[in-house]
Amino acid sequence: MDSRRCQVRVAGTLLELLPERALYWPDAGTLAVADLHWGKTESFQQHGIPLPTGVLEDDLARLSAALEATGARRLLFLGDLVHSRQGLTPTVVDRLARWRASHASVECVLVRGNHDRHVKVLPERWRLDVRESHADEGPFRFAHHPEAESGRYVWAGHLHPRVRLGGRSDTLRLPCFHVGQAVGVLPAFSAFTGGLNVSRRAGDRIFAIAGPAVVEV
Amino acid sequence: MSAGRPPSPRTPRRARGPASRAAASAGAPPLERLRGWFRDKGWTPTPFQEEAWAAYARGESGLIHVPTGAGKTYAAYLGPLADVAAHGQRGLQVLYVTPLRAVSRDVEQALREPLRVLDADISVESRTGDTSSSVRQRQRERLPEVLITTPESLCVLLTNEQAPAMFASLRAIIVDEWHELLGTKRGSQLELALARLRHFAPGVRTWALSATLANLDEAARHAVGTRHTPTRVRAAVERPVAVETLLPESVDGFPWAGHLGFSMVARVAAWLDVERSTLLFTNTRAQAERWFEGLRFARPEWEHLIALHHGSLDRAERERVEGGLKEGSLRIVVCTSSLDLGVDFGPVERVVQVGSPKGIGRTMQRAGRGAHRPGATCHILFVPTHALELVEMAAARDALLRQEVEPRTPPRKPPDVLAQHLVTCALGGGFTPEALRDEVRTAAAYAGLTDEEFAGTLSLVREGSPSLRAYPEFRRVVEHDGRCVAADARVARLHRLNIGTITSDAVVQLRYWNGARLGSVEESYVSRLKPGDTFLFAGKGLEFRRLQDMTAYVRPAKAKATQTPRWGGSRLPLSTSLAAAVRRTLDAARHGDVTSEELAAAWPVLDAQSRLSRIPSAGSLLAETCQTRDGHHLFLYPFEGRLVHEGLAALLALRLTRLRKATFALSVNDYGLELLTPTPFPFDEAVHPALFTRERLEADILESVNVGELSKRQFRDIARVAGLVLPRLPGARKSARQVQASASLLHDVFARYDPDHLLLAQARQEVLEQQFEEGRLARTLERLAASPLELVHVRRPTPLGFPLVVERISASLSSESLLERVERLKERWTREDARSA
Repeated sequence: MDSRRCQVRVAGTLLELLPERALYWPDAGTLAVADLHWGKTESFQQHGIPLPTGVLEDDLARLSAALEATGARRLLFLGDLVHSRQGLTPTVVDRLARWRASHASVECVLVRGNHDRHVKVLPERWRLDVRESHADEGPFRFAHHPEAESGRYVWAGHLHPRVRLGGRSDTLRLPCFHVGQAVGVLPAFSAFTGGLNVSRRAGDRIFAIAGPAVVEV
Repeated sequence: MSAGRPPSPRTPRRARGPASRAAASAGAPPLERLRGWFRDKGWTPTPFQEEAWAAYARGESGLIHVPTGAGKTYAAYLGPLADVAAHGQRGLQVLYVTPLRAVSRDVEQALREPLRVLDADISVESRTGDTSSSVRQRQRERLPEVLITTPESLCVLLTNEQAPAMFASLRAIIVDEWHELLGTKRGSQLELALARLRHFAPGVRTWALSATLANLDEAARHAVGTRHTPTRVRAAVERPVAVETLLPESVDGFPWAGHLGFSMVARVAAWLDVERSTLLFTNTRAQAERWFEGLRFARPEWEHLIALHHGSLDRAERERVEGGLKEGSLRIVVCTSSLDLGVDFGPVERVVQVGSPKGIGRTMQRAGRGAHRPGATCHILFVPTHALELVEMAAARDALLRQEVEPRTPPRKPPDVLAQHLVTCALGGGFTPEALRDEVRTAAAYAGLTDEEFAGTLSLVREGSPSLRAYPEFRRVVEHDGRCVAADARVARLHRLNIGTITSDAVVQLRYWNGARLGSVEESYVSRLKPGDTFLFAGKGLEFRRLQDMTAYVRPAKAKATQTPRWGGSRLPLSTSLAAAVRRTLDAARHGDVTSEELAAAWPVLDAQSRLSRIPSAGSLLAETCQTRDGHHLFLYPFEGRLVHEGLAALLALRLTRLRKATFALSVNDYGLELLTPTPFPFDEAVHPALFTRERLEADILESVNVGELSKRQFRDIARVAGLVLPRLPGARKSARQVQASASLLHDVFARYDPDHLLLAQARQEVLEQQFEEGRLARTLERLAASPLELVHVRRPTPLGFPLVVERISASLSSESLLERVERLKERWTREDARSA
């Protein structure tokens, strides 16, 4: 597949925006993703809402593809890794443990998001290094909530940003990276998520995910 | 609803023993005493009433159709009441189902009134969504002999584990305003509930009450179910409708589009007369708000005589208005379809319709709200909101003269409604699949249900999907000792919250800071408000403060309110009958026949259409092309109503994109459709009779429906009925938030991971049926293919095209790749940014 990334320079550092809905920091060998909502389908099923299983497999395949394409050594989850306590069924926990084992050499760090707080202790087999509110690395702060921090550029998730393109005759809504002056927001990684339209302030850059390509708009 | 004056408000709950002159006949059979009560009221039983009582006594079921105000309630009720009195048993025996919970109190009074001549212990009570919890608690222990309820509350009762015993003693079911339910999923749901009741009480008789319809035989069959042959009772009462149109002073300043009709407020205010009580119907709630405000501004001296009534207002306010109207203290009420039905207004003298009534049956119904005297002529005043509506009004009068009332076609075995019913039955004592399947088939809507369809729907609530995909954690209905029952208490709670087929967007309560309730507005509207924004609601200017726990807090606005809430789904399509009448009327105008005053008034606009382009004729198809800064437009005017135009627009867009790669935005209204593309397109060559071919019609429409957004929108309602989307009710438990997802997101997940899912198939089917109702689109295509094409290039949108340009875009269809579209849209964005900089 013709995959097109975009490069941005933030805080003097070169970063890549991947169409797999991930941010890659080549110098640190670090890949960051946000809002994976593992077990969301299963939460619905537990509430008597018949949703087909399948989102998780596709999401994991996409995450593996991003890891392999970049050769990343570290993976940062910027919050909302799991959707709810009910969604973490034995099957789901086991499936994710197997996925984790297939990337055993990758170091995984989770910065907790609001959904993650419903699950006090995450399964040990997932081998996650859990941070309660943020992880500061190099010139960056990685967090779940997009709140500015003096002295560091913040990368966050939570908002599931989407951009609306077009006018009266044709309209599209696409997941996007919203790179602001002090805070950058990643698109929600899970395909089973809605989102908020971004409002662009002067100087902001927006990168839409158009199938296999990232396009600055 | 009933004959004569409303009964006195203080009827005792339990009337026992002789209380009137009819007591002289104590010891006489109950029906004799009820006839005596009739005479005491100064009424004479009409032949159709006697006929209905006799038919009931013979054990028959059926349909009574008579004009509003002819006394059909007592025609249906006195037979069963006499039956109950004669047997002297306790427990639920008569069930009275009404589509509107707001009218239950009036029905209650009317049904209690005759009790006083009966020497029997009979109680009459309501149970609706408005019933207090203490009354519900009492009813849980013992139901009254006569219970008034809505289809939805009836279904909630059916979820009670004791349902089989509760309904076993039922003698009669009366379904009021059956014509309102028949063509909707509420009707399908009620048919299933009635089938269940006939299973619990095999001897029960069903009587439905209906206004005039084109398909009364069908209405009767669906009311009584397949095991009974319906008896039809009709009154020889005619209610002619006289139409008058309030003409604009000059059509020059009269808008070509829009639907508020604000330029007519002053003329209507001058026409109204507080000495003659009036209902002023509008087609939307936003329009009602604006008209109420406008009339109060025009006639400040009427402050206490004029009121507003629509479905989003708080119940207490609606009841105040209904009460004021009945006792005569309120003289003019601006309302929506909230007052189409029910409530016996007695004193209403005049009826005004602002904007096109969109249908003939609806016009008759609204006209019938005034002057409740059998045989009297009903008058209705039409107020056009834009120039072309004058044509619709001339057409409506013509169709009324010809008595071209529309049919209401029942939905065919909708699976989402059946899925909801299966969970209801699982809760209400459980079921065995074979027995329930046979029972479901006794409902006429589901008579043709195949074994596979039943099994498929059952597996939807048992395993998640019939397609045997993995739904490992799904549980709603489980099998226990051979019976299907609900999985757990959580399923039961969510299901009861979710019962019903009336789908709407999530609503939030509207309250003052101090907690006083105002009503409700759609969440999607509130979410766009910023604190400090002002809007008009319930005739008051309000300032939005904040949204918390599904409640929007407001305070009286200091500044003038600048906007009116938008409520979704409130615009009705032009009916088949009226659409045909509009084509006839325009054709006459094209040939110089402008004899009606409406057409004469609209003439300057029709003349402009004629000069810029043509007036559409009945025998040809008018197409216009035009270029504006929005892009390249194609307009077509089939005059088939917006639903058919939606299907047609998607179909034509698909066929055009096959000729050349393009993206089309589609816009439709009742008159025609517009295809708009940002890049030049050779419409002149492409618009050709071959475009309208019926070949590959179904395949093409399915493809366009897949590509387009029609089925996605249809899926939204289906998902809600089938219990895939949970309602966001105020006070709903927070845990429910984790299972909220938009229907369009759910649609995408199903389309990707279980594309054969039953409910997706239903969405496609409903789009097909609703766009092609009785092959209406196929017939339209046939007509268009055979019509000579009149293709005109115009320099700017014509009077017919302009409303389509201002209409909101309804869908888009593209044969470009996503990346190509993004690149093109990006360019456009850059250009616009540059322009605004």
